[in-house]
Amino acid sequence: MGNQSLEIAQALPPGAARCPQEPSTQDIIARDRVAAPAWVRCESYEFLGDEDISIDRYIDPAFAKREFDTLWNRTWQFACREEHIPEVGDYYVYDIGRHSFIVTRVAKDDVRAYYNACLHRGTKLRPSGTDGCASEFQCSFHGWSWHLDGSLKESVCAWDFPHVDAGKFSLPQAKVERLAGFVFINMDHGAPALAEYFGPEFMAHINEWGLENRYIYCHVVKKIPANWKLNMEAFMEAYHVIHTHPQVAVSNADANSQYDIYGEHVNRFISSLGVLSPHLRGQYTEQDILDQFTIGDSSMLGGADRTLAPGETARQRMADIMRVMFEQGTNTDLSGVSDAELLDCFSYTLFPNTFLFPGISLPMVYRFRPDRDDHRKSIYEVFFLRPLPVDGIRPEPVETVYLDDDQSFTEAEGMDPGFGAILDQDTDNLLLQQEGLEASAKPGITLGNYQEIRVRHFERAIDKYLQGGA
Amino acid sequence: MQANFTRFCKLDEVPPGGKKALKINETWVLVCNVKSNVTDRLFAVSGICSHQFKPLFNGRVRNCRITCPVHGARFDLETGAALDLPATKPIAVYEVRVVDDWIEVKI
Ligand code: FES
Ligand code: FES
Ligand SMILES: [Fe+2]
Repeated sequence: MGNQSLEIAQALPPGAARCPQEPSTQDIIARDRVAAPAWVRCESYEFLGDEDISIDRYIDPAFAKREFDTLWNRTWQFACREEHIPEVGDYYVYDIGRHSFIVTRVAKDDVRAYYNACLHRGTKLRPSGTDGCASEFQCSFHGWSWHLDGSLKESVCAWDFPHVDAGKFSLPQAKVERLAGFVFINMDHGAPALAEYFGPEFMAHINEWGLENRYIYCHVVKKIPANWKLNMEAFMEAYHVIHTHPQVAVSNADANSQYDIYGEHVNRFISSLGVLSPHLRGQYTEQDILDQFTIGDSSMLGGADRTLAPGETARQRMADIMRVMFEQGTNTDLSGVSDAELLDCFSYTLFPNTFLFPGISLPMVYRFRPDRDDHRKSIYEVFFLRPLPVDGIRPEPVETVYLDDDQSFTEAEGMDPGFGAILDQDTDNLLLQQEGLEASAKPGITLGNYQEIRVRHFERAIDKYLQGGA
Repeated sequence: MQANFTRFCKLDEVPPGGKKALKINETWVLVCNVKSNVTDRLFAVSGICSHQFKPLFNGRVRNCRITCPVHGARFDLETGAALDLPATKPIAVYEVRVVDDWIEVKI
């Protein structure tokens, strides 16, 4: 930014400045042929202060312990998709820290989450990291068993346990709510209902997306050598694109992406694709932009005609190509989907640890969890969700791919290698950031007022839980 | 004793996504017809879990794995390897083929 634009920004109220002399995300989207829906065409930014954010949260094991004691046990977390447990008796084991839950379908419309521990002498009832189908939950040690509905089925040698009242030996449960094909759980029985927790604006958005009509076609897990919050924050802004992902910037409106916050637990950005980065103004033609455009699920694009007519924009051509290719490639009907939804990166954070990307070309869900024993490590999961085929038959969730710590995302089966390379660039910064924060003489990190508002909003929620509020 | 291919059942008795257990020469064999994004073929494995020797028959098959319905250990259908506690030992796997609409297992 030149001196002149800095002066202009300083004259504005804090947080009001935007990338100078560039169209806004809303301007870009307004020109599209197939118009975007209301949830795209709105803004909800708020200035939340410009103080530094203390770094103890990333580097102090005591902070991580406080998170387990005050945050993870009180927040709604995405435990699994309904498609993981389609039949009665199906279950999926979700772990967070030392906690573990058996998320199971007890009846067609009744999903519960049991604490995954035997009420006799504590043995875990199902191994972590697994899913399956059961007609009862039996402990492998002495064989006590529980019905699917959580009631005690049998305590072996009941004559020796006259003090065990079967009525009080049902498996304890966490709260469960389902939304858009996702199963959320919360250990706090006093927690607000999910709709209240997310707030009315986000609920209006998610109810438009039909994510219940998607299926997981790729699921990759990797352990990352950084605190879980650093891991998440690496994906909260497009500010890093020009430097971290130079190959993407040619066709990504990075510095003029849009950032929004909704209540305490949800924020988002919209980052438009098929348009040149403001950093590269004047350096590329529309044809260059189209030529360099790549997307998350580019297997669909095949050999489409990529020569622009005079006056035609790369963005519109890309949307048109994608509409046809995705419909054919995935056997889905996209006639009601806007150009922006097809093309752009919509990234929502659901506090504490989930990202939803409701777009079509970038259809991800991310989940982040701290390592249970090491605050400097986190578990990063990437799911790709596709619209269901038009024949209506839901494919089974794919086999999960577990990458080794030093393996590249480009090696992950089912993930587009170009997208994998982007995730490598994102996560390769993280060990350096973790170590740099530990080495730093500066007690806080400094954030941009607009482009890094999601980081500030997220950390504000962290602080609220740790201070006993929220 | 030398292993020979033995008729198991007609192919149409184990449709894609299905499975069937039968006792052959005193051994419980489970044949799974797996149809998924990673594989599309028949597998034949022991019908008995290596953990507490309970039947695997009702275990859920996804991709190339079966989950024991009793305590939830998973096994790789290709190699028989135990993938989770409480199981630590593999289950037997058998060669399987189709001849004249019959599934045959080498046992
Ligand atoms: S510890 Fe579970 S039955 Fe004894
Ligand atoms: S009997 Fe199969 S896991 Fe125990
Ligand atoms: Fe990135």
